[in-house]
Amino acid sequence: MSRASRRAAAPPVGNRSVLAGFLSLLGEVLITVGLVLGLFVAYSLWWTNVLADRQASARGDEVRQQWQAPEQAAGPGALDTRGGVGFLHVPAMKNGEVLVKAGTDPDTLDDGVAGYYTQPVKSALPWDEKGNFSLAAHRDGHGAKFHNIDKVRNGDAIVFETRDSWYVYKVFAELRQTSKYNTDVINAVPKDSGKTAPGRYITLTTCTPVYTSKYRYIVWGELVRTEKVDAKRTPPAELR
Amino acid sequence: MYGWIWRHLPGNAWVRALISLVLVLAVVFVLFQYVFPWAEPLLPFNDVTVDEGSGATP
Repeated sequence: MSRASRRAAAPPVGNRSVLAGFLSLLGEVLITVGLVLGLFVAYSLWWTNVLADRQASARGDEVRQQWQAPEQAAGPGALDTRGGVGFLHVPAMKNGEVLVKAGTDPDTLDDGVAGYYTQPVKSALPWDEKGNFSLAAHRDGHGAKFHNIDKVRNGDAIVFETRDSWYVYKVFAELRQTSKYNTDVINAVPKDSGKTAPGRYITLTTCTPVYTSKYRYIVWGELVRTEKVDAKRTPPAELR
Repeated sequence: MYGWIWRHLPGNAWVRALISLVLVLAVVFVLFQYVFPWAEPLLPFNDVTVDEGSGATP
């Protein structure tokens, strides 16, 4: 069949060509939607991690530089914590150090950090006499700093590093799934943790199951000791 | 749709392929830079905090 005759035969008049045109457009649109959704998955699980890790490591370096700088005119003891209060080390999560900043709003957490709660229940800080140091971080995307929270077992160490001290906590309880409205888990004496008396606790919260945020995953630890940071910043035994 | 775009691009097949590639990259850039960051907080995949159900403000 010659090219000319094929072309002449091609457009069959009537409803059939309209229908075919519509179906082919629909098919192309569906394929496009599929590709866009695939790209969104790549964005959520990969690209946000790239951006967040870049941010977090830059901010972390700033904090460490600030720590090394000689005491500022603000006077002794006045610690500038705007850049972050310190670094969280959870060996069981195998993710290195996590910068900790104030607040748990998305803008803070999306930079690949862990945030301590300022509301609905205000977190204590590690150096407070008593209280619960409650933290949240992403399970997936945006650095995914608490991705491996399910690998943390009772007895594992959680170490918080500030300019002057190492705070060594030991995990004593976990709640593998709870409602996202269960704010009692970050109380000063966390409910459901088994503790009834005030103490120096740490609470890690993130979403579960992975890739969704239907429920919350909670891990509790209790302070076992603190160590002074030495000149070489030798990490405590738990991190070696 | 794609056929229509292809027919309306100038040049020969190679030039058209090149322009198509640039268009695809531009679309991906706009998605990653503007559309996805806007859409993400609206989707229920990444809320990690416990709160009192106030919704948008965790």
